Amino acid sequence: MSNTLRPYLAAVRSTVTAALTLENFASQVVERHNKPEVEAGSSKEALLNPLTISRNENERVLIEPSVNSIRLSIKIKQADEIERILCHKFARFLMQRAESFIVLRRKPVTGYDISFLITNFHTETMLKHKIVDFIINFMEEVDKEISEMKLSLNARARVVAESYLTAFTS
Amino acid sequence: MDREFRKIDIDAYDEDVLLETELYEPYPYDPATALDQAKQRAAAVRSSLAKGDVPGALGNILDEAPYGPNVEDAKTLTLQTLVTILNSTKSTDIPGVVKSLSQDRQDTLMKYLYKGMGMPGWGDLSGSVLLGWHEKLTEAAGIGCIVRTMTDRKTV
Repeated sequence: MSNTLRPYLAAVRSTVTAALTLENFASQVVERHNKPEVEAGSSKEALLNPLTISRNENERVLIEPSVNSIRLSIKIKQADEIERILCHKFARFLMQRAESFIVLRRKPVTGYDISFLITNFHTETMLKHKIVDFIINFMEEVDKEISEMKLSLNARARVVAESYLTAFTS
Repeated sequence: MDREFRKIDIDAYDEDVLLETELYEPYPYDPATALDQAKQRAAAVRSSLAKGDVPGALGNILDEAPYGPNVEDAKTLTLQTLVTILNSTKSTDIPGVVKSLSQDRQDTLMKYLYKGMGMPGWGDLSGSVLLGWHEKLTEAAGIGCIVRTMTDRKTV
């Protein structure tokens, strides 16, 4: 792992661990409802200060904690147009299958590429440190995945161009 | 038919509605006094830094930091002063400095670190410096420091 990535992921890890102290909390506005307060936003005493962790302008994580849920949004590094397209397609692919990931949100928060919504029911049924590990692992993998896809895309484009242009040599 | 009345937020007129101002004690000084204080502190910090006294400079800036909605100028100046301290500290000195701070000062420092990270590219902020400080501060003060940053309504 590179030297600048490690403190970034360490900061995300400690902040998510701190934010994941959730408890069951029913809605104060609607009786017999139990919704993630960070999404409902109906009672401001249940929301905590949102925290941002940034490595630079293009890579940051927004963590919005509340009493019974946290929302974690990731802005993935996008250096050029190809990375932007790949990132968009990849995030879209994952978010269309959000049920399989359990904590994934179907839509990202504006300004970010992908969002997770973790509620107290998730922390009750799953191990907390495993959820944190999953988030950190995801952040490590997604950068790798996108740069790999970019390389294979360029390689493929080169092969296609070569075999297409052989028709014109001779 | 007039349907505008449906958009009125009736909860705001409830007699036991919770206001933003009831969540924390208001900041005791008015904006002009706060800005003056911040300027005085900035000068004091510069003289401590010239002597190489980083813990003294940090202690100076982190006590009674301005908070609340009306004192934006003082907050910006305080953050700017703090960033100069952070940037001018050698990375090997950081663990000793954060250990020497009291708990309240550690909490305030953590608030400023998150505030700094929330506005990347502002002034001479650098992400790697803030992340380095964050790591050392978390080692010294623990997760509780981050939790206090999240729960304290007195945002810097």
